[in-house]
Amino acid sequence: MLKRFGNYLRKKLLLVILIGFVIGITATVFSHKAIEATSTPESCEMCHVHPHVTESWKLSVHYDTRVGIHIGCVECHLPPKGQGFLKEKIKASSKDLYGYIFKDSADFNWEAKSTLEHAQHFVFKESCINCHQNLFPLTLTKDGQDAHLYYSQNEEELRCINCHLNVGHYDPNAMHAKNVDFGGSGDESKEKYTEAATVNSHDNYIETIPGTTIAFNMKAIPGGSFKLGSPEGEQMRKADEGPQKTVNVSSFFMAEIEVSWDEYLAFYSATAAEGRSTDTEGTRTEADVDAISGPTPPYGQPDQNWGLGTRPAITMSYRSVETYVKWLSQVTGKTYRLPTEAEWEYAARGGTETPFFFEGNPKDFGEQGFFGKLFGKGSDSVNSYVVYDKNSGLRTAEPEGIEANPFGLKNMLGNVAEYTADWYAEDAYATLQDGTTDPKGPASGEEHVIRGGSFKSEIGEVRSAARAHTESKAWMKTDPQMPKSIWWLSDCNFVSFRVVCEFDEKTGKN
Amino acid sequence: MSKNNFSRRKFLASAAAVGAVGAMGAGTLSSCSTGGGSAAAGGGGIYDWAKREYPFPPMLDAVPDGKVLKAGIIGCGGRGSGAAVNFLEAGGASVAVTALGDVFQDRVDSLQAKLKKNNDTEIADENCFVGFDAFEKVIASGVDIVILATPPKFRPEHFEAAVKARKHCFMEKPIAVDPVGIRQVLAAAKMADAAGLKVVTGTQRRHEASYINLFKECNDNNAIGKITGANVYWNGGKLWHRDSNPDWSEMEWMIRDWVNWTWLSGDHIVEQHVHNLDVANWYIGKAPVKALGFGSRQRRVTGDQFDNFSIDYVYDDGMHIHSTCRQINSCDGGVYEIFHGTKAIATTAGHKPQIVDAAGNQIYQAPKSDVSPYVQEHIDLITCIRQNIPFNEAAATAESVMIAIMGRVSAYTGKEVTYEEMMNSDMKLGPETFIMGDLGYMAKAEVPVPGTLDRKPKK
Repeated sequence: MLKRFGNYLRKKLLLVILIGFVIGITATVFSHKAIEATSTPESCEMCHVHPHVTESWKLSVHYDTRVGIHIGCVECHLPPKGQGFLKEKIKASSKDLYGYIFKDSADFNWEAKSTLEHAQHFVFKESCINCHQNLFPLTLTKDGQDAHLYYSQNEEELRCINCHLNVGHYDPNAMHAKNVDFGGSGDESKEKYTEAATVNSHDNYIETIPGTTIAFNMKAIPGGSFKLGSPEGEQMRKADEGPQKTVNVSSFFMAEIEVSWDEYLAFYSATAAEGRSTDTEGTRTEADVDAISGPTPPYGQPDQNWGLGTRPAITMSYRSVETYVKWLSQVTGKTYRLPTEAEWEYAARGGTETPFFFEGNPKDFGEQGFFGKLFGKGSDSVNSYVVYDKNSGLRTAEPEGIEANPFGLKNMLGNVAEYTADWYAEDAYATLQDGTTDPKGPASGEEHVIRGGSFKSEIGEVRSAARAHTESKAWMKTDPQMPKSIWWLSDCNFVSFRVVCEFDEKTGKN
Repeated sequence: MSKNNFSRRKFLASAAAVGAVGAMGAGTLSSCSTGGGSAAAGGGGIYDWAKREYPFPPMLDAVPDGKVLKAGIIGCGGRGSGAAVNFLEAGGASVAVTALGDVFQDRVDSLQAKLKKNNDTEIADENCFVGFDAFEKVIASGVDIVILATPPKFRPEHFEAAVKARKHCFMEKPIAVDPVGIRQVLAAAKMADAAGLKVVTGTQRRHEASYINLFKECNDNNAIGKITGANVYWNGGKLWHRDSNPDWSEMEWMIRDWVNWTWLSGDHIVEQHVHNLDVANWYIGKAPVKALGFGSRQRRVTGDQFDNFSIDYVYDDGMHIHSTCRQINSCDGGVYEIFHGTKAIATTAGHKPQIVDAAGNQIYQAPKSDVSPYVQEHIDLITCIRQNIPFNEAAATAESVMIAIMGRVSAYTGKEVTYEEMMNSDMKLGPETFIMGDLGYMAKAEVPVPGTLDRKPKK
């Protein structure tokens, strides 16, 4: 029987091949059609519920193209066909379908998802390059030439969206140019201070910056001794926080809040330099001048469009910050500077020896999932003192709504990390003597210590003892300017600083 | 011909292959839907930054037939005149020089007369242009090729303008004097690649059969083993200088005396010694990552340059090469390169590229060609244009010029200078705008004193 069927097939070999061929073609055509049909913007929108997504796309240069073609969702949000298209399509559609059925799209932090950090996971560089094959068209501008040249020499580390983030979804606030107007609209109606605060004793005072409308609170921090670092048993502790050493800290003053945009822009407008005077042989003709020359205009929006005002100033380079304190000292006649690491931790602890200056251990607040929200016993306390990844919405916060620590200082542990004066070394405490007064950290180093977590930090990183350091190279990776700015960071939006004022003869010390 | 390793048949085969690859590249560029892979930076150039591959020029003895190619000369001084004559010799009846431009009338007049007398080439007065904007007029005069031979300060601007006007270029080294100029050349070179333009840069050793044969013996046949160090030299006499002339403005004097001014020439380590540094980059296959050097000014008469440099260049793997250059008369010297390998030594001393053992016994002598390399580079340019072979030396030469600049900055300042620093530097020499008048530049100019200059941003 089988044999006869076999013979039959052999005789009708051509027919069999033909039928197989037709079935194959049909399957291919229909599966192709199915893929096409489920790859249109309309089909994406069915599950991918996202406020303004279609509107912002229609306002973007990828919808309103010069040549009159529309670039759809999958052309950027999936890799090109043959480069993982199907795999990513299945991943993306299952994720969207899951979100559509089980989640409420209103709960998503869409703004955070459209930042570079998140966008790089669903915008494919291969897809950009698939269409944009010539990065050096004859019409390219001078700035474009420099930027694309830099890209072509650092292709591995850079993505197209490092610079061209908003080309698929229009953002009216996005800026891709030198921001010469930044911080320009000050409040002219307010009265300007004519004199800096006079300080005669070690008490809290309000500093007033002459020639500006800016005033800020300074808290008197009484000197004392404390244990620097964390004990070995502390939850989520890292090795560089030990061994604990007892050190003495002299009295000083510290700003209640991280330097605000208002404060920083007063400095910026007083010192901003139009040109650059940074380089090699160029300095040959330049005489040394005493006047403090401050930052050049930033590239893009330093405040990330989160707002200015009392929010902490961000994206300033360490050099900018050093220049700021020099300027502030000059205009106020006092000795302002960055805190040392020891001063910072002493002030942050406010006399406590626990992981936080309030009650609780990191793990009490760590799980903030569904059950954590319902039953997490201490989450109220952490939320009133610390802006970190679970409550920040991944952006900086204004300090008004935050409770102060025992020394009256706000946002020591969260909101933004803070530059300190010390060089970073993993083993800095190991070489420190017990009983040292006002330690200043290692004599030299590559990177500076930053302290206090930020709106991006997990709970373990906002402990009083947690340490971190600057990353000079990584934080400047995508600055498209040649040369890169020495004043503004292109790839770090979570570090600010807090000033301290020395308690010395200028501030009432006998 | 028998000594020449390049047979026409061999070349045509490889040219066809290169042409086919080029055509494929062009195909992917024109279509959005096909997978282009990493063609993002514009394929087709002779020098691939990522792969650091260096294909050789075609090296034909004579240009292939083709439609007449018209060239315009920008910069009619010594090198521009020489290049014009080399170009005509290379192309014969199938090429023509049809336009001239210079900042000085007498330079244009003299080349116009010379070409008429010696080369039977008549250039109409309306195709002769004078002034700082002469280059634009030459480019717009209907030429296919521009020959850029002004002092190198002006090269980046001229090159970019030529590329944007879709002209093939012969541009004389060095192609810039500062990092800003280097980056302008690099970007324009990418545009040239994307537009399919051909660029030759006057580094004629790369078109000299004996140098190529020696390179192949070292590189392809591993005749000297791994290179562990090198010495490169241009230690020669003074070039020339121009004394002041009451009829000249300050700018005119500086430009007529350009080999003595850093902002115009880049100093002699850049202007002249770049030839040898370029050979080092070529043979070693990469550029050094930093330099520490010194130099001084002993007997130069005019300008603000040094007249001697000694630079220690260091590579990413720790290898050192030593470069020295001098422009002082009545001293001993030489112009050549030596590469020390684990097995033997490659040297070009006495303009006799060869491989010797440690005792100096010859192991290999590189065959030469009868064609002058100064003509050969034009034959190669014309060949690449006519056969549509992707060929663009700008990026490779920019890298060589950049390491010369790096050496200069190190010697001027006394500080160690890295390649990365140079790539990110905003150094731009000379006045911002060019007018034929008095700028007060010379009064301010100083010869650099090492150890007194702040190289890094002031803290």
